[in-house]
Amino acid sequence: MNRNLIAIRTMPNDEITGLLDLAAEFKAKINAGEDVPSMKKTVIGLLFFENSTRTRVSFEQAAFYLGMRSSNFATSASSMTKGETLKDTILTLRHERINGLVMRHKSSGAPMLAAKHFGGPVLNAGDGQHEHPTQALADALTILERKTSLEGLNVSIVGDVEHSRVARSNAWLLDKLGANVRLVGPRTLLPPHPSMLPGECYDELEEGISGADVIICLRLQRERMAEGMISSIGEYASLYQINADTLRFANPGCLVMHPGPINRGVEIDDVTADGDSAVINQQVENGVFVRMAAFYWCFGGQQS
Amino acid sequence: MKTLLRNGRILDPSQNMDEIGSVLIENDQVVEIGKIEDLSDIDEVYDCTGFWITPGLVDMHVHLREPGDEHKETIISGTQAAAAGGYTTICCMPNTSPPLDNPAIVDFILDRAASPEAGGVFVAPVGAITKGLKGEELSNLAAMKRAGIVAASDEGFPIQNSQIMNRAMVFCNQIGLPIMAHCDDSNLSKGGSMNEGAVSAMLGLQGIPRTSEEIATMRNCLLSLHTRCPVHIMRVSTWGAVEIIRLIKSLGAPVTCEVCPMHFVFTEDDIGEFDTKFKMQPPLRTKVDVELLLQGLQDGTIDCIASDHSPHASHEVDVPFDEAPFGASTIEATLGATLTYLTHRGILSPLETIRKLSTMPAFILNLDGGTLKPEDLPVAQVTVIDPDVEWTFDRNKSFSKSKNTPFHKMKMKGKAVLTFSGSEIYRDAIYPAERYAIYI
Repeated sequence: MNRNLIAIRTMPNDEITGLLDLAAEFKAKINAGEDVPSMKKTVIGLLFFENSTRTRVSFEQAAFYLGMRSSNFATSASSMTKGETLKDTILTLRHERINGLVMRHKSSGAPMLAAKHFGGPVLNAGDGQHEHPTQALADALTILERKTSLEGLNVSIVGDVEHSRVARSNAWLLDKLGANVRLVGPRTLLPPHPSMLPGECYDELEEGISGADVIICLRLQRERMAEGMISSIGEYASLYQINADTLRFANPGCLVMHPGPINRGVEIDDVTADGDSAVINQQVENGVFVRMAAFYWCFGGQQS
Repeated sequence: MKTLLRNGRILDPSQNMDEIGSVLIENDQVVEIGKIEDLSDIDEVYDCTGFWITPGLVDMHVHLREPGDEHKETIISGTQAAAAGGYTTICCMPNTSPPLDNPAIVDFILDRAASPEAGGVFVAPVGAITKGLKGEELSNLAAMKRAGIVAASDEGFPIQNSQIMNRAMVFCNQIGLPIMAHCDDSNLSKGGSMNEGAVSAMLGLQGIPRTSEEIATMRNCLLSLHTRCPVHIMRVSTWGAVEIIRLIKSLGAPVTCEVCPMHFVFTEDDIGEFDTKFKMQPPLRTKVDVELLLQGLQDGTIDCIASDHSPHASHEVDVPFDEAPFGASTIEATLGATLTYLTHRGILSPLETIRKLSTMPAFILNLDGGTLKPEDLPVAQVTVIDPDVEWTFDRNKSFSKSKNTPFHKMKMKGKAVLTFSGSEIYRDAIYPAERYAIYI
């Protein structure tokens, strides 16, 4: 059975935990030099309409571990620049017998449109401000390796929540698995009507991360200044930066996470980013294993 | 040729008439209404027992897309769709390509609408307030008025500069041309594709805040109050806009407004998983807004119901939500949706329903129609409605070229079965054949 991986929001809990277990299993096998399932005849199309190196490479690496072939569609060189619609691009890939699709797109909901026309599995690698499910899975795996359970954990997501698909996917996943989610940031960067999102909103950092077991920092886009959402990078950093000073409000042993790319000295300071509490590199590493699990699961594989 | 519409419920809001009777049409004129005694020389009879006989419906807000976007709709397909929807007069919007901002395009549209293949309904063009809909220089409004425009509007490109709007109102008031205003502060709405609220936060779609509609509504209402120019507020969607219009009317401003069926039938929740059929401008709002719209319809703050028929081709809407155009094909569903959601639920009486669909629109834009009084009706405009027939809207049976509509598969109660526009008759397939008799 083929499945899509588009939104954590619409996924049942047992599918989420199944994926996390599978990712842990793949990680253990790869680290022990054992065999993982081979999906040799499967070709994956990587369709990135927005620039991304880290996520694309992570999917490529996951495909490589599973023996799959991945095919890159650099969108600036493709027919999209000749005015082809997304629907026709998807139909073309379908009839070129690409088996599965990894897509990143600037528009929220675009992977649902792709799934409607593609027929095979579609994996969302980030759609607009909607979701980035594999990032949330990587983050959850990283937390689980250190905290054993998400149940009852206090997790604060700090920064530009309104424009962040990482924040949304993480909030859904953590909430579904029992964590207490807090969304922290200036009111201009928090959703003005958050009632249908999981979590509580906080506009003050100290309160928002007080007692936190995990802090997930979000990248601050510089264009938010031009849009009038923040006054300056300096003021933002003075109010919301995660550093040794502000970490005092969190629980001892609090994990500091960041989906990258990092603005050192803005949302997180240099020392903290390289410090003992940071698990940023582990998030990147786990990204490969959750994407392996995602491929395997999307093509109908089950946990062994 | 004498045509008798026999024994229907005559609903004529222009004379507060709600009584059983008949309507006699001779050639292209209504000649008599009420208890008709002299039945000599009748050529054909439509038995209207159980049906409503009403003034032809008037739709103030229609996009016919011609010239320029004939792949979405044409004057011919759009007027056929209008007739099927029960309309005898429709106003077409100026956001064509090129825009309807000069008399030559007015002539072109009126010529096409008069062609034999067209639906026979009367087309009343609305001219652009500013050249090219750019919001900068006024169009040649007086020349367009002579050519036949009935109102001025920059429609989906609302004028942001308050001074330009102020001058437009002063001049339009001088030449007797009402202004129709879509109210939107584009700095607030820019980049948005649905209502700013809980659903947009969940879906990660940029929101259009209610303030973008309400600030512009307030501005246009105040300009109308002070210039005395009649201003018609198009497609009201928020409770705040209803309150603003109620206030400005109480201050005596010559302001009127319309609501579109999408805004009282659907809410933001209907967007579901990014369904572009529900992408509207202004966006679908919330249950609270719908409640206040219904209240505004009941207490008369909202004067009219218009379709905002905005056809798009299917390939244009099979795209990501934020890239899809606003609007949908609605003219064939507006009467059915109004009867189902307002009349049958007791929000509007039958007479008030017809007032908002015919008499008020005609009155606001000084159009012929909106009445059955023979002396006030130069050419026949009559609609016969079966208020109780249950049917399911099927976009594949629609006359509109655009199949993009949120009303597809909706169960409705009530439908127009006959539409008389001058000597043109639209007879719906639903009209029972045994109720028609011809004696020639």
